[in-house]
Amino acid sequence: MLGRGTAGQRGSGAVFGRLASVIRRISGMPDYGAYLEHLRRFHPDRPVPTEGEFYAEFVRGRYEDGPTRCC
Amino acid sequence: MIVRRVGWLIVALIGATAWAVLALHRGETINAAWVVLAAVGTYLLAYRFYSRFLAERVLGLNDRRATPAERLTNGRDFVPTSRWVLFGHHFAAIAGAGPLVGPVLAAQFGYLPGTIWLVFGVVLGGAVQDFIILFGSMRRDGKSLGQMAKEETGPITGLLAMVAVLAIMVILLAVLALVVVNALKDSPWGVFTILCTIPIAVLMGFWMKVWRPGRTLEASAFGVAMLMVALVGGRYVAESPGLAPYFTYSGLTIAYGMIAYGFIASVLPVWMLLCPRDYLSTFMKIGTILLLAIGIVLVLPPLKLPAVTRFIDGTGPVFAGKLFPFAFITIACGAISGFHALVASGTTPKMLIRESDARLIGYGGMLMESFVAVMALCAAALLDPGIYFAINAPLTTLGGTVQSAAEVIRGWGFSVSPGQIDALAASVGEKTLLGRTGGAPSLAVGMAHIFSSAFGQGLMALWYHFAIMFEALFILTTVDTGTRVGRFMLQELAGQIWRPLGRTSWYPSIVLASALVVAGWGYFLVQGVLDPLGGINSLWPLFGISNQLLASVALCVGTTLIIKSGKARYAWVTLLPLAWLLAATLTAGWQKVFADDPRLGFLAHAASVAEQVAAGAVGATIGARLIFNDRLDAVVTITFMVITVLVLLSSAREWVLILTRRKPAQARESPFVETAYAG
Repeated sequence: MLGRGTAGQRGSGAVFGRLASVIRRISGMPDYGAYLEHLRRFHPDRPVPTEGEFYAEFVRGRYEDGPTRCC
Repeated sequence: MIVRRVGWLIVALIGATAWAVLALHRGETINAAWVVLAAVGTYLLAYRFYSRFLAERVLGLNDRRATPAERLTNGRDFVPTSRWVLFGHHFAAIAGAGPLVGPVLAAQFGYLPGTIWLVFGVVLGGAVQDFIILFGSMRRDGKSLGQMAKEETGPITGLLAMVAVLAIMVILLAVLALVVVNALKDSPWGVFTILCTIPIAVLMGFWMKVWRPGRTLEASAFGVAMLMVALVGGRYVAESPGLAPYFTYSGLTIAYGMIAYGFIASVLPVWMLLCPRDYLSTFMKIGTILLLAIGIVLVLPPLKLPAVTRFIDGTGPVFAGKLFPFAFITIACGAISGFHALVASGTTPKMLIRESDARLIGYGGMLMESFVAVMALCAAALLDPGIYFAINAPLTTLGGTVQSAAEVIRGWGFSVSPGQIDALAASVGEKTLLGRTGGAPSLAVGMAHIFSSAFGQGLMALWYHFAIMFEALFILTTVDTGTRVGRFMLQELAGQIWRPLGRTSWYPSIVLASALVVAGWGYFLVQGVLDPLGGINSLWPLFGISNQLLASVALCVGTTLIIKSGKARYAWVTLLPLAWLLAATLTAGWQKVFADDPRLGFLAHAASVAEQVAAGAVGATIGARLIFNDRLDAVVTITFMVITVLVLLSSAREWVLILTRRKPAQARESPFVETAYAG
């Protein structure tokens, strides 16, 4: 189940999910689990995007604002 | 309490002892452990005491104040992130080729000047800059350096900062691309491995976007595995007489290939090529740096390079110029890097969960980068000095054959035999290592020594190409993300002249802006490849000067922030490094343009080429091109210097107005909101 993992999981799956989330944030990848958590807490009325939709949206804006990698 | 004090006393004593050993040692070799201990001891003390002073007294970090990640949380870029994870994120963003290459080149002065500048430069300069800019951006909802310059000092300063950033980007991309060209020319193994990263990235891109949407980790694990296959496959290609010619290219061909690649990566959608390559290179970067740290600690190699070489007098073959000012611009990134101000005002400030974390991430992250630079310096200094100069001196100086090279190097007072140079090249699976300027090959040889001593003898060639792949991979990531960012900045600037050009998704504008950015760095790259002295000679100082001048701009902004928050009595924390940086960099810029020595001064070089053309020693067309490039380099250097002085003057005017109370000391921070997190 590489690639999944929300903060709400239990047991060994939760450990794995947290590890996956750490790796994602360090390498600048979108964290879908954290986004679901965010929607659930703050905007329970909004439609939930699929993992693919979220990824496409995140990646589109990432290289526009300024340098993300240094020399 | 008392235990802690004794603990810090011990750290201080160990650090001081290590510095004393470095200063007083008079043997043939010295163990790298002393360099590592001196550096780490100083970092620990600086972090514990100086960064605490900055955090509490100068900046006044306040954990009751909600951060942008909390107030503006959106689950995308504004995401509260725990401190050690964010430390990793920030470090992965700031660490690049700069801190690896600069110290290797500056090793021509010996290991001591580089070590001293890296360690003291970072604790008093680089880490302070990163910390304050990160803090300023955090207090302003994650605004960029340019926006902060505009709002705090004025619109003209903001525009100057933006133009400076774009110009620096062009020089940076050119010089980094040149480092890759010099590492890959006539190397079928290296070319094959790096070429493979393109289809691997495209496969990853389709995996994450189309086949299994959003599964970034799966795709990355696949990508890293394929990369290792490509690395091993490269050896087979290099040894096969049938295949090797298809992957053996001259520097010029590789340069044109990279220019084409940069353009394509800039106009394609990011998910297809750029983003997956970014993930791949980040994993490789973090993994390899960890491996290098473990390797150095396990091996603790003896350093064979002298503490100080005769080349501090300015006659060195790697680059021209004396110890002051050129050590301080050649080593830019590991000690203080203006480019960090752009990253520290980018994604990181939007992820801080509480204000006090900015100390670990801003100040601590930069200490870590300095340590990477210290490791790179050790990797270069463990080589025989003769071998170091055989790889890093230009081919025209060495005379083209191993025999002539050994002769020239012996003339400099270092012993090396032709057989030694040939044997080393053969052991790493290359035809020749002679005159491979740019730092990457000698660093790869040093890293291969460390890795094969630590993790398995007999794999020299594989480790060498692993190191080359690691460097080339993330340099190319800087090249493609940098080209794209440059494109957006150019579109923004052009949009102020003619509206439609500013529409970042309008195809004619995309193609035009991408082509202009690529043409900009591509021009300098091709001229660097054609340069009889190898190009690094003139381009690296230009890059160092531009990066340090950008750091000066960032320190000006930092000083303004401090003074505007009513803490003028602490403004010395940025003014001190600013003064040193301006002294070193403006001196270097002046010498590069106006020095009488044709090896050093651009204009003197142009004059000497003109004489050679008149005497018939150099062809008229080549001569005209060299003269034009010298003048162009001179104009670029002067432009950087003028922009920096203008930013300094406009900032100083602001400081005086505030200090004489003709203007209120009021920073434009976002209003205070109490955090909802439990204390």
